[in-house]
This record gives sequence, structure tokens and C-alpha cells, in this order.
Amino acid sequence: MIKIEDIHKSYGLADNCNKVLKGISLTIKNGDFLVILGASGSGKSTLLHVMSGLEYPDQGKILYDGTDIAALNDAERTKFRKEKIAFIFQQYYLLPHLNVENNVKMGADLAKNQNYITAIEAVGLSEKRFRYPHELSGGEQQRVAIARALAKKPDVLFLDEPTGALDETTGRQVLDYISKLQKELNFTIIMVTHNANIADMAQSVIHMNSGTIVKLWQNDTKKTAYEIGW
Amino acid sequence: MEMERKSTQTTEYPKKESKTGKRTKPPLSPQNKNSKGKKQMIAGKILSIRDISRLFCIVVISFCAVFVCTLFLNYNTDLKSIGIQVMQSDVQNFYNAQVMTGKIVSILSGGCLLSTSAVMLCFYIGHYVDTHAKMLGILKAMGYPNLKIAKGFAGFGLCVFVGTAAGYAMAHSIMPLFYRTQNADGLLPEISIHFHPALSACLILLPTLAFCLLSVLYGYFRLKTPVLDLLKGEASKKIKIPKDKKSRNNIKKLRTIKNTAGLPFLQEQKKSILRQKKSLVFFIGFASFCYASMMQMSFGMEELASRMMALMIFLIGFTLSFVMLFLATTSTVKSNWKTLALMRAFGYSDKECSNSILSGYRLPAYVGFAIGTVYQYTLLKIAVTVIFAEIENVPEFHFDIPAFLITLVSFAALYQLILYIYARKIKQMSIREVMMGEE
Repeated sequence: MIKIEDIHKSYGLADNCNKVLKGISLTIKNGDFLVILGASGSGKSTLLHVMSGLEYPDQGKILYDGTDIAALNDAERTKFRKEKIAFIFQQYYLLPHLNVENNVKMGADLAKNQNYITAIEAVGLSEKRFRYPHELSGGEQQRVAIARALAKKPDVLFLDEPTGALDETTGRQVLDYISKLQKELNFTIIMVTHNANIADMAQSVIHMNSGTIVKLWQNDTKKTAYEIGW
Repeated sequence: MEMERKSTQTTEYPKKESKTGKRTKPPLSPQNKNSKGKKQMIAGKILSIRDISRLFCIVVISFCAVFVCTLFLNYNTDLKSIGIQVMQSDVQNFYNAQVMTGKIVSILSGGCLLSTSAVMLCFYIGHYVDTHAKMLGILKAMGYPNLKIAKGFAGFGLCVFVGTAAGYAMAHSIMPLFYRTQNADGLLPEISIHFHPALSACLILLPTLAFCLLSVLYGYFRLKTPVLDLLKGEASKKIKIPKDKKSRNNIKKLRTIKNTAGLPFLQEQKKSILRQKKSLVFFIGFASFCYASMMQMSFGMEELASRMMALMIFLIGFTLSFVMLFLATTSTVKSNWKTLALMRAFGYSDKECSNSILSGYRLPAYVGFAIGTVYQYTLLKIAVTVIFAEIENVPEFHFDIPAFLITLVSFAALYQLILYIYARKIKQMSIREVMMGEE
């Protein structure tokens, strides 16, 4: 379980201080699919960075099964990220000089996962495993990023606008892969998006505005990637 | 609406076809004149002061090159003017040896340093095109010709002027001391210092012009990358795929062989980083070569020539290798900044991150060091046995083991220090800033 208690985060000093998160509290159950909605500048990406241990909050606690990652030092947080979480970014961030297989190995080696080929197969790229990122389409690159994240066998998968750079068809495909794999492997998903339609796929949804949660709700029925609007 | 208005404006000035079929430019209206002026301004301003300041190492190396060449060539020119006064055979030999030393030092140091600067300049321009691919892509997409954009790169070449002019001035300021040291035994008649305008033109203006030309030409060559690749920021990331089927199949086979080796990610990463930037392998190898050869040579020079010569070689060797090692490491880390951020985000430790990027260069560094050691020994041996053969009282030359050990230990320390500086920098990086593109 992930429990977030009164998180505050600001950037800049004194007069230029920009308060991005203003006392966020939240509880996320294991295996949950949480979508964080909000306009640009609402603080949703900062919340994702703080929750995933990429950044320290100014104040508050982030408890993963009782361990407060906000109190860990840099090396301990690195270990935490290594063991618990994985990321998928809008811009894919594949390593351009390595082929698909080696990009996936980046995640797999951390979890000592010898069977990383399964992750490549799961995203339907086994025939393109020796291709380099620039030889793939945007959707394929994002699928490599999914395989890389899943090969790490994470407990929590953080996604920052994963379909932001994709067209509708490819975006739906990518979301479909992610939700199917989540059902299969039962990891927790925390996804940041500005596309309100994607919220229909999630179990829990929070809507952020100006650094605070303005609305929080649970969906009774989850739609598939092909049922939601775009 | 904006787009529509713009297109209507364009149709008001159709390009005329001349009788020969060539398009002629419409007469320049004040509006057109202004836009032309703006175009030139943009193309000329593609380099910022910050970009040029990164060429500090080229300034240092060109300074060293011109400094050494000015001292020896000025001395040689002045020495030749007293040539007819030299009569006695032993003095004649001393005279010949000095002329020969001047020529060798100028050619070896000057030539070597200037060619290193040229390679570095090309490397910098390539790096600039890679890191500013999007901006250059936009300029190209807007219709700026490659040559016009490349002309802006002349600024890179102009920075050489700072180094050459400073080197020339510095050499002249210590020239009296140098002349006295060269003729410390008083074997030759007194040599007075003269100013040689041709020499200053050759050592200051010629390299500056040559480097400006090189910058423009190399920039032009690098800008031949298709616009879309530049806009996608893929100026040098693409692997060239040959057009014929046979070569393509060979590449496929090669890829399969390479990739089924099943190396762990960190080793694969290390290998691919070395493959990716071969010029950096060269720089690091060459920096180590310079360090090994010039440091050990400086120990021998104290006995064979003079303390001043030894000090000069020591300082140049140290500066050159330090600057090159630092540049190569900086470039490696900067070009892999996002990779490092991603590795850290995924949970790779600081040590794993810095090792995967930097430790691959250790082998080329020590290979360069070994070659440099052999080179300096061979060079000095030849100098003593062949060039100074006719001169009396030249001490015998043997391989200097203490000098070798001191150089090796100091090199290892210097290399580790640079790696340590960057390992710390990697540790302090903000993953969020890198991911948000705020490098």
C-alpha cells in the first residue's frame, strides 16, 4: 500500500517561490490503477516525481508498506527505485545507441531477470528486437519502453503522459498493452495524463488543480482502451 | 487565419521567370530588405559566447603551438643571419645542431599541436551540430542554405586567433631569456632579437584563416544531414543503412552475431559508448600519448638540452593532455546525460552509472600511454645517436625507469582525479531537470 501524507513541494526561493504541491494526502492500494488528471501546471507531474522518489518533498511522508521514502538518503532511494518501481515517459527515453533487446535488458538486469525476451514478446516486438530506436515508429518505441519497465518486474509502474506523443490508434494500442499486462502481473499503475477519457480505464481517479486534489473518485466499471473516447 | 493571411502576402510577390528559364529575384522593397537583413543576422548569430567559450582548450593548444614555434623559428631566423660569421668546425656543429633542433621542435610540436587543434575543432563542430540539431533543422526548414548557416561557424575558427596572438606575444616576452639560455656557453656570437613580420603572419593570421575555413567547410559538410533528421535531433544517432541488399544482409548478420553474445546491460552500454564516439577514444589515447611522451621527454631534456627546454616541454605536455582528457570526459558525460538520468531513475547506483560511461576509456588511455613511452624513447635515442652524433659531450641516453614510474603514477592520479570529478557531478545531477529537458 502507498500512503501519502500532507505532501508539500515548492520551487524557487523567497519572492519567486512557486508552491506546486499544497498538502496532498492519498492512499493507493496494491494492484490499483490510479489516473492523475489535471491541466498543465496543476502539479500532477511533480506529484508523480515525488511519489516515485525522483524528488524529495519539502514536507510530508510517502509510505510504501510503512517505509517513508522521503526520509531515505540518496543511496537508499536508488535501491528503493531499483527494487520497487519502473517508469514510462511521454518521450520514451530509449537509449538511442542500443537496440530493442539491450534497451529492455536495462530494466531486466536490475531485477536479475534472465527471461527478458518474454517482455519483448508481450509487447509484440520479438521480430524487431535487434532494431535500434530510430528504426521504430513512435508506438513501437513506447512499447519498447513498456517492455523495459515490465522486464524490471516492478511493484509500481509510473507513467507520465504515455500516450501524449502518439496518435489515437497507437495510443489505444499502448494503453491496451499496459492494462492487459497489469491484469496479468497485478502491479500498481499510477498514470499522469491530461486526457480525461483515459480516466475511464482506471479504478481510481484524482483530479488536480493548483497543487491540490479537487476531486477524487472510483470507477465502478473499467472500460478497455478501445471503449473510451479520445 | 494567420496562415491564410501569410499565404496571400506571398502570392503578391510571385517569382518571375526570365527568358533563359532562370528565376529572377523580385526588386527588394523596404520590407524585403529588412527581412534579408534579419536573415543574415540570424545566420550570423547561431553561436553564442557560451558556445565559443567552450573552445577554451583549442585556444590553449593553439597558444602552446604558436608559443613554441615563435620561440624556435624566431631564434632560427636570427641564428641564420649570423651563419656566415661561424667558422670553427665545433662551433659549426653546435650551430647546425641548434638549427636542426629548432626545425624538429617546431615541426613536431607546432605541427602536432595544430593538427590536434584542427581535429578538436571538427569534433566540437560535430558536437555542436548534434546538440543544436533542432535549431539548425529549423533554420534549414525555413530555407537557409547550408553554406549560409555554415558561415556562422567561422566564429569557432576565430577563437584560434586569441590563442595564436597570445602565444606569439608570450613567446616574445620571454624571448630574451630563451636566447640567453640557448647560447649559455657563449659558443656563438651574440644573437640579437629581431621582429619578423612574415613569421607573425604565418603564425597568427594563417592559422586563424585556415581554422575559419575549416570550421565553415566542416560545418557545411555536417549540415548535409536531412532536415527531418535534424528536427528529430538525430543528426548522428542514425546507423547508416547501405542501399544494396548484400551489404544490408551482412549488417543484419553482424547485428545478430553481436547481439546474441548476451552481454549484461552495463557491459553492452560500455561497449556501445566506445563504438558511438570513436573520436573520443582517439582523444583520450592521444592525450595519454602526449602525457607519457612529453613528461618523460622533459626529464631527459634537462640533461640533453637545458632546464628551460625541459620545463617548456613539461608545461606543454601537462596542459595539452589535461585539457584533452578533460574535454573528452566532459563530452562523454554531457552526450550521455539523459542516459545517466534514466539509469539513475531506474535504480542504477552512482558507481554503476559513472563506470558504464567512463571506465571504458581506461584501456585506450593506457595503450596511448604505452605508445607514448616507446615513442619518446625512440625519438630521443635517434636524436642522440643520429642528429647530435657529431657533437661532443652529449651524454648517453638510456631508458629512465624512475622518470617512467613518476609519469605513470602521476598520469594514473590525474586520470582518476578527472573521473572522480565527473563521478561527483553525476551524483549531484537532478533527474527531474534532465527529464524535463533542462540540462
